[in-house]
Amino acid sequence: MPKTAFQRVFPYLLVLPTFVFVALFTLYPVTRTVTDSLYKPARRAADPSVFVFLENYADLFDSTHYLGARFVQILGNTFAFTLATVVFSVPLAFLFALLLNRQLRGTGFLRFAIFYPALLPLIGAASIWAFFYSDTIGLFNTILRGFGLTGVNWLGDPNVVLYAIVLLNIWKQSSYCMIFYLAGLQNIPRDIYEAAQLDGAGWFYQLRYMTVPLLRRTTLFVVLITVTYSFQTVEQLQVLNQGNPADRGNLLLYFIFQSIGERRNWGYVNAMTVVLVLLLLAFTLTNFLLFERRDDDKA
Amino acid sequence: MLQRSLRMLCLLLVASLLAVTPFVQAQAQVVVDFYYPTAVDGPITQTIQEYATKFEAMHPNIKINPVYTGSYTQTRDTIRTELAAQDVIVDVAVMLATDLTSFVEEETIVPAQQFIDRMENGEAFVANFFEAFLANCRDEEGTIWSVPFQRSTPILYYNADLFRAEGVEVPRNVNELIEVAQKLHTPERAGLLMPVAGGFPIWLYQSFAAGFGQPLIEADPAKVYFNSDASLAAVEFLTKLGMPTSEGGFGVGPMGGSVWGDTPTAFTSGQAAMIYHTTGSLTNILRNATFEVGVAFLPSGLPNENGEGYAAPTGGGNLYIFAATEPEVQEAAWLWVEFLASDEVQSDWGARTGYVAATRGAWEIDPLKTLVEEKPQYLVARNQLAHAYKEFDSYRSIDVQLIINNALSSIISGNVPLSQAKATLDAAQAQIDSLLAEYR
Amino acid sequence: MTRRKWRSYLVTAVTFVLAMIWLMPLVFSVLMSLRPATEPINVGNIFFGSTLTLDNYHNAWQVAPWGRHYLNSLIFVFGTLIVQLVTITMAGYAFARLRFWGRDVLLGVLLLQLMIPTGVLLVQNFATVRTLGLFDTHWALMMPYWGSAFGVLMMRQTFRAVPFELEEAARSDGANWWQLIRHVYVPLSLPAYISFAIVSISSHWNEFLWPFIVTRSEDVRPLTAGLNKLFFTTEVGAQYGQLLAGTLIVIAPLVVLFVFFQRQFIESFASSGLK
Repeated sequence: MPKTAFQRVFPYLLVLPTFVFVALFTLYPVTRTVTDSLYKPARRAADPSVFVFLENYADLFDSTHYLGARFVQILGNTFAFTLATVVFSVPLAFLFALLLNRQLRGTGFLRFAIFYPALLPLIGAASIWAFFYSDTIGLFNTILRGFGLTGVNWLGDPNVVLYAIVLLNIWKQSSYCMIFYLAGLQNIPRDIYEAAQLDGAGWFYQLRYMTVPLLRRTTLFVVLITVTYSFQTVEQLQVLNQGNPADRGNLLLYFIFQSIGERRNWGYVNAMTVVLVLLLLAFTLTNFLLFERRDDDKA
Repeated sequence: MLQRSLRMLCLLLVASLLAVTPFVQAQAQVVVDFYYPTAVDGPITQTIQEYATKFEAMHPNIKINPVYTGSYTQTRDTIRTELAAQDVIVDVAVMLATDLTSFVEEETIVPAQQFIDRMENGEAFVANFFEAFLANCRDEEGTIWSVPFQRSTPILYYNADLFRAEGVEVPRNVNELIEVAQKLHTPERAGLLMPVAGGFPIWLYQSFAAGFGQPLIEADPAKVYFNSDASLAAVEFLTKLGMPTSEGGFGVGPMGGSVWGDTPTAFTSGQAAMIYHTTGSLTNILRNATFEVGVAFLPSGLPNENGEGYAAPTGGGNLYIFAATEPEVQEAAWLWVEFLASDEVQSDWGARTGYVAATRGAWEIDPLKTLVEEKPQYLVARNQLAHAYKEFDSYRSIDVQLIINNALSSIISGNVPLSQAKATLDAAQAQIDSLLAEYR
Repeated sequence: MTRRKWRSYLVTAVTFVLAMIWLMPLVFSVLMSLRPATEPINVGNIFFGSTLTLDNYHNAWQVAPWGRHYLNSLIFVFGTLIVQLVTITMAGYAFARLRFWGRDVLLGVLLLQLMIPTGVLLVQNFATVRTLGLFDTHWALMMPYWGSAFGVLMMRQTFRAVPFELEEAARSDGANWWQLIRHVYVPLSLPAYISFAIVSISSHWNEFLWPFIVTRSEDVRPLTAGLNKLFFTTEVGAQYGQLLAGTLIVIAPLVVLFVFFQRQFIESFASSGLK
């Protein structure tokens, strides 16, 4: 049956609103970002920028360059930070969901206790942790001193700072992810467990061979959002340590913002943005393909 | 039930959305967009609004639109975003002295000089400001580009009751500083808290670099002295403050220094005998301390023949008028700048916040005059201006600052051992020189 | 059986301990916010000061127009969400069920958008918003998010999982496209919508940079701008009591809502069969 004119146009009408906004607020600026990353601003603001092709990128990986000297370290931090967040928050979220999925007296309270971090805007959450981590008048160090121990310089010690930031992130992110696992768990039909129990399947067996595989999709989803959020961490750093000390507590997107204030860095800022986007894109593609494969399994 | 209430909620929200749709309003007035950051306590927004209202009563055809733009860094980045988008909204802003050279070079701002030259009493207007503050408002040729507004300087706060009880004198140079700090240091109480742990160790570092004989910058904004012997001595000194005596340090505070905002609170609660901090904290510290607070010049230098070694940078924000603004708005903005820099406002602003009123006249009138009589601590910062140095500012100042802060933080936090301090400073200096080469 | 009981106790204990750890920041925020400002915590006394006081709340309340910020945040997150729900349903359906020229290219473009932090496109997007004349309005906050690749891809996934026979059956009953969406696709995809809503709401609720750049007046700025201001009052001496009181003011309404609606909230997932 040949399509009518309307049927031919219809799909485009459906995607039009989305693409108007995507084009305006993503495609256009991204194109600008990529092209701008190939230029260096001239010394005088009024002069046109100079085309340097990939030189900005080369500088970023040159350890004698004033940004390059820091970029690689910060990139490494960003990976470590993201990996640690995922490795700890996702299993924790799963554990929380398992624990809270049971019908217990006081479940509502326990759910609240674990979920409320997700309700806090990041700046607010970081403010609380700033109080915990404060070197002289903070909670953690005061408690430690109470036990006769010397305090830890949570945000000032180069070997500690990244852990401190990760800890806050885990606290918040695991709460958030827990909700998705909880929803997933509530949707696994009870009867399949009952059947398994009749077959003599143990608690661990059920967990390992039934619950975990059944929640595979949820896991992919949760990993995806956790990685995205972690890669884009800015607010915590702004409140807690401004990337200090010595960049050991710095992350990529925050570094980009630190550099944005200087007009002459414009090329670098764009080049770093492109690197960030490419990294995220590589990850998303992998994740997306996993989603897709799952779909094809079904078909 | 839930569904229905959700639907109601949606409707309500859509309705409220429509209600806030922007509407265009005809305006015969000149509107001046004024961006200000704040790093001080208290209801700053209300105070600024008060000034605006007072100003508008004097100039009915001008409307001031004060916009709170976060920290100094956030303010600068907001303005930088507007500049990068080639669409400048701001007309006049309070920004750091460190922004001057870049903005002058880019012709982003207009010189205050052009307005001053047209004033009847222009010379008196300029002479009314303390010279130490004007140093960061001028370019190399002496043209004035910005006007001091909320200026500050770091000072030494000490626990006067404790000093009396222990029978110690107020330190006048680095040697005495360490002596006193070590004497007063206990496990529960730091002898001296030096807030260099956060993002901007550069400010306090400058007082030591100058105190040891070589300020970080001099008149030429294309030359930075970061790997001088004085600079190395300054960094070593700052690092040793937190190092235990067993490792050759002074052991009078936490390793890596204290956090900026926590320092005054630790001090007022008796957890530190002395701190370095901005005058901007004075009002807050006097209010919260349960003991007599002493204030003194920064003893950051080696003793001279009188045993004195004082050195301090200036700091805080100046008023900048932007070049992209229409001429008639610039004129209005200048009136606003003049108003904010007047003795009356400076006196009030200084008394409320602890910023150092930037004009001499401000100290002769109330409320500052009475306040100084009651609380002489406010005078110390002003008198210290005799020992003040120009605050760091250079070409590419944002990048240079980041390089310096990063190097300082590496050494002071112990990320790099002291034995490599010189190499770290040299590497940073090389990066700075490569950035500044084209400006020489 | 006893072993089982023993294990049940253990699990309960573990849950309780973990919940307490997670709750600690809230508990100490409350305690700290009730302490007099002149008494920071010290060794031997980390719980209470010499007296309980609401001064911190009083001071924090004056830092920013919280009510206005609250309303702005709600407008921002829900105004974004409502439009998103419409656009992602439309586009999601097209990508899931329709064939059209250029579909794969468009899909690729969406993937590109998926992971780009809007924060890094600040300058260009600021310029766009100015050009459109929307600067310092609620529209400026929301608009960049109205085209949501994340949502479209999610709905595409979900719609593809809806058995095609259902669509055919509905069509043979004479249902038009709108009815098809309304009565077949949407009801079967509720969990996906809810998941999307949670992600969307929580990410915009947290958002600071974009709102801060495209707005200037407090009539439009969301809660995060108020929190930012609150945080910078610590520059002249960290008043953690005041800072935490402000933070608590911000989360209090949400906490109350959650306490009342948590059952419905959780069950809305359960009844709808999220996968």
